[in-house]
Amino acid sequence: MSSRSLLSDRPVFVVGTGLHPYQRRSETTYVDLGITAVRAALVDAGVMWPDIEAAYTGTALLGMGSSRIMLSRLGATGIAMTQVENASASGSSAVAQACLEVASGRSDVVLALGVDKPRGGLGAAPGQAGIPNLEGGSIVPFTHFALLASEYMDLHGVSDEQVARVALKNHRNGSLNPFAQRQKVRTLEEILSEPISGSLTRLQCCPVGEGAAAVIVASEDGIKRLNLDRSRAVQVLSSVTRTEGLYGEGVGIDAALTAETGMAAFEEANVDPSDIDVLEVHDAFAIEELLYAEALGLCKPGEAASRVESGDFDIGGSCAFSPSGGLLAMGHPIGPTGVGQIAEIVSQLRGEAGDRQQPEARVGMAHMVGIGAVCVVHVLRCE
Amino acid sequence: MTDPPVMVGHRCAICLRIAFPPDPYGCEKCGALATELDEFELEAKGSVRAVATVHRHHHPSPSTPFTVGVVELVAGPVLKAIVEGEAVAVGDSVIGVLVDGEDNDGNPVVDLHFQVVT
Repeated sequence: MSSRSLLSDRPVFVVGTGLHPYQRRSETTYVDLGITAVRAALVDAGVMWPDIEAAYTGTALLGMGSSRIMLSRLGATGIAMTQVENASASGSSAVAQACLEVASGRSDVVLALGVDKPRGGLGAAPGQAGIPNLEGGSIVPFTHFALLASEYMDLHGVSDEQVARVALKNHRNGSLNPFAQRQKVRTLEEILSEPISGSLTRLQCCPVGEGAAAVIVASEDGIKRLNLDRSRAVQVLSSVTRTEGLYGEGVGIDAALTAETGMAAFEEANVDPSDIDVLEVHDAFAIEELLYAEALGLCKPGEAASRVESGDFDIGGSCAFSPSGGLLAMGHPIGPTGVGQIAEIVSQLRGEAGDRQQPEARVGMAHMVGIGAVCVVHVLRCE
Repeated sequence: MTDPPVMVGHRCAICLRIAFPPDPYGCEKCGALATELDEFELEAKGSVRAVATVHRHHHPSPSTPFTVGVVELVAGPVLKAIVEGEAVAVGDSVIGVLVDGEDNDGNPVVDLHFQVVT
């Protein structure tokens, strides 16, 4: 596989991260959101804006041409700027493009930014594809996942309450994250109230607000030339993107796609699922963490609910799932989400995650899926 | 009970994949042109693999609560559709039923729903 030789032949490191808090839609412009995150990432990296050689902006909701009017406020340096749209994985794909740009040797220091503001509705293209189906508009994403929850609970004899415990954990993690949209510890009773669809309740569905996240990636040459802090650089071991194949009638596409993308990412990174200390998954709906824990091989099929219940996936457990609070609590502003996952994993692997720190975290993973379906997985490791 | 409605899907003349809904562009398995996709009748009959009652919906139609299911057709394809009634359980046998309704703009439409066979 050519991508394997690219990231190992010319290693890529995350040297800086920055966030604007995820929050409910406000009067703040997307420009303010974006440059706040980028300025924080520049300070974190110890990089000056003119050192940035290219920028990729993950955004799905802003409309065309968002980058230059925003980033030129840091200085109109004339660098290449490109918007990257890949549904919920837009930010992850911006990171993937930035890594590719550095790994290819074209640039040494590149910015990946995610920024979005919700505008009401997602405007997803598949609805305009001219392929009508029976469901019409009756099955929106939360019902798609409510149906997966129904099937999973029936197959494995898992209760509503056990699925809700994913949200209990991730809200608790979010309460420790100053950048999270939801920062409240919730009781199981609160989580189980306010039904939305099937067993999924309001607090088991992610909030879609606004925010921004930025990461700066660099080559060894870039780190040396700019005299950056090598001890805080976190290597990107793999970057894999795949889209949905045909998995057979009735097979859950999100988990099957995650399984094959995850497997390719483990292979490229040359690590095993058991090596993962900390990961951020696409937990837009509580059931997803269970599906992906199993799909990624971090536990056996049918075992994830009991692993959550036992505290194995807590911060301090065998593998911390979504210590940021995940999409459920940190939030899912679309473009920023995948970039924010990388920021959290980097913070964990540097040992700088404070109250959310997974002890001795060495290898981390970030996973997003999006409408299409698409899946993007990154594996990172600290030296 | 009357025979269930017939659903029209397609079968690829090249790779024989049966799919629903029918596709105007090409075969997702082998890439054959749409001209190779022959109409293929599927009986609207199957069993419920998963079920969810929807309590919140952003559009006027259908009105909440309504129940949707993942239905595995006897003929093979698995699809999602509205299942009539609230007492629907995984494993229930269902057949198709044509239902008069309205789209979100208030225009009359006929939808294919499923209902539990008792």
